[in-house]
Amino acid sequence: MPHEELRESVPVLTFPRQTLVSLFVFAVVWEALSHLAPYLGIPPFAIPSFVRIAKSVATITPIDIIVTLARVIAALIASFLLGLAVAMAMYRSESLDKYLHPMIRLLMAVPVVSWILFAVLWFPGVEFRIGFVLVIVCGPVFLIDTLDAMHGVPRELRHMMQSFRPTTWQYFFKLMLPAIVPTIFTSWKVNISLAIRVVTIAELVGAVTGIGHQLSVAQELFSVADVFAWTLVLVALLFLLEAVVARVETRVLRWRV
Amino acid sequence: MSGPPPIKVRGLRKIFRQTTTGQSVIAIERLDLTISPREVVAIVGQTGCGKSTFFDLMIGLEAPTEGSIHIGAKSPHADFDYFRGRIATVFQQDRLLPWRSALDNARLPLELIGVPEEEQHERALSWLNRLGLAHFTNAYPHELSGGMRQRVAIARAFAVEPDILLADEAFGHLDEVTAAELRDTFLKLARECGSTAILITHQLEEAISIGDRIVVFGKSAKLLADIHVAQWSKPNYGLLREAIQSTLQSDRPDPRLKDPRTETKRKK
Repeated sequence: MPHEELRESVPVLTFPRQTLVSLFVFAVVWEALSHLAPYLGIPPFAIPSFVRIAKSVATITPIDIIVTLARVIAALIASFLLGLAVAMAMYRSESLDKYLHPMIRLLMAVPVVSWILFAVLWFPGVEFRIGFVLVIVCGPVFLIDTLDAMHGVPRELRHMMQSFRPTTWQYFFKLMLPAIVPTIFTSWKVNISLAIRVVTIAELVGAVTGIGHQLSVAQELFSVADVFAWTLVLVALLFLLEAVVARVETRVLRWRV
Repeated sequence: MSGPPPIKVRGLRKIFRQTTTGQSVIAIERLDLTISPREVVAIVGQTGCGKSTFFDLMIGLEAPTEGSIHIGAKSPHADFDYFRGRIATVFQQDRLLPWRSALDNARLPLELIGVPEEEQHERALSWLNRLGLAHFTNAYPHELSGGMRQRVAIARAFAVEPDILLADEAFGHLDEVTAAELRDTFLKLARECGSTAILITHQLEEAISIGDRIVVFGKSAKLLADIHVAQWSKPNYGLLREAIQSTLQSDRPDPRLKDPRTETKRKK
């Protein structure tokens, strides 16, 4: 079997021996460094031991996880609906597409930090600021992905559907939407990762709840153990959300070969 | 019960402008054709003669550049929505929606015309049964053979019991045995349904075996011959085939097509 095929046959989110070995080596090196830090001239707080990190994990407040998760999910749903609606309008109207496409490319080129600063300067409400930043960053990704997928629906299927004379809504909901579902799932996976990273930065500025806020507190307290613990939570959250999407994807796309 | 309306094509022209060169290409040049209700008409012609353009004009997806197509008093393009559920199509490839089961594919046109869900289910199931797919209603397209998929596509077209059935090379990609079997089924169902059927094909055997009439298109869909197959006796089908072949090759009507009876006598 060619090498490429072998590599593709390894299922996602499983832990092959190599992964476990590399994680174990990392943990051993980290733990050793945490004990050797004083002898190496590294401040003791910089590389906390796993016992210290475990203590930080134990103090994690679930409400902050729930708040961040709620912000991410709400913003992703809003971004998806907005992106899909605008993509549908752009697909229908060539002139709208020509006017909006450059604008969207421009929005996508703006760095996240700039959006956060704009949000702080423009809006007084913290929740609105965070929501705005997430939607302005994730919305265009959904939009471009779904629009590209709509243009990629095979001409033969579009022709067949049109021959049966559907209404505009029927055309979208019975052909275009189901046809682009695989792309929608891919876009969700990309956006989950993006949203987790963006929400953390957005919460650093002005929020009094959420993982980003807790990371900010940990930074003020010079607690690397707390930063490590919250980072672990973020990574776990990302894997959890991706696993949920992957599960739904398998169920929804069971028609695929 | 009112039958399907007649189809009248008058002075039909279709010109396309090529996007790259800006040149105009005449796809159909002044076509006149009348198709009576419940007729089964086979349209034959060489590749690039405008058969598929005629198909798109009949569906109503393209507008004529000049002239008109009328089905009864309505135009399939100008009165596009009127023909929802009245015109159905079968294509060369099955064009089934891969995310829908055979049953859900067959009921698609019924959903589009707003038939109640229970009735959709019953009608689609009944057509799949008639096409020999009773045990495959829940199968996805990728789980079916090419012939079975085309049967689902035929069931989808018949599900609305349309006035006009249009088939574009619908059996051309299948093996001869499957194609012959499907042709017979298609013809039988079209007769039972009382639909007018227009089949576009490049296979003369298919045209002769299925059509009440064979319309031969020359270049730019110029009408070279309009043959009523009933005027030809079965033993003379070979001659008919030769005459159509010669018409297509020379792009001029073969004299043998003018009066088949004379030709038969002469041969004797």
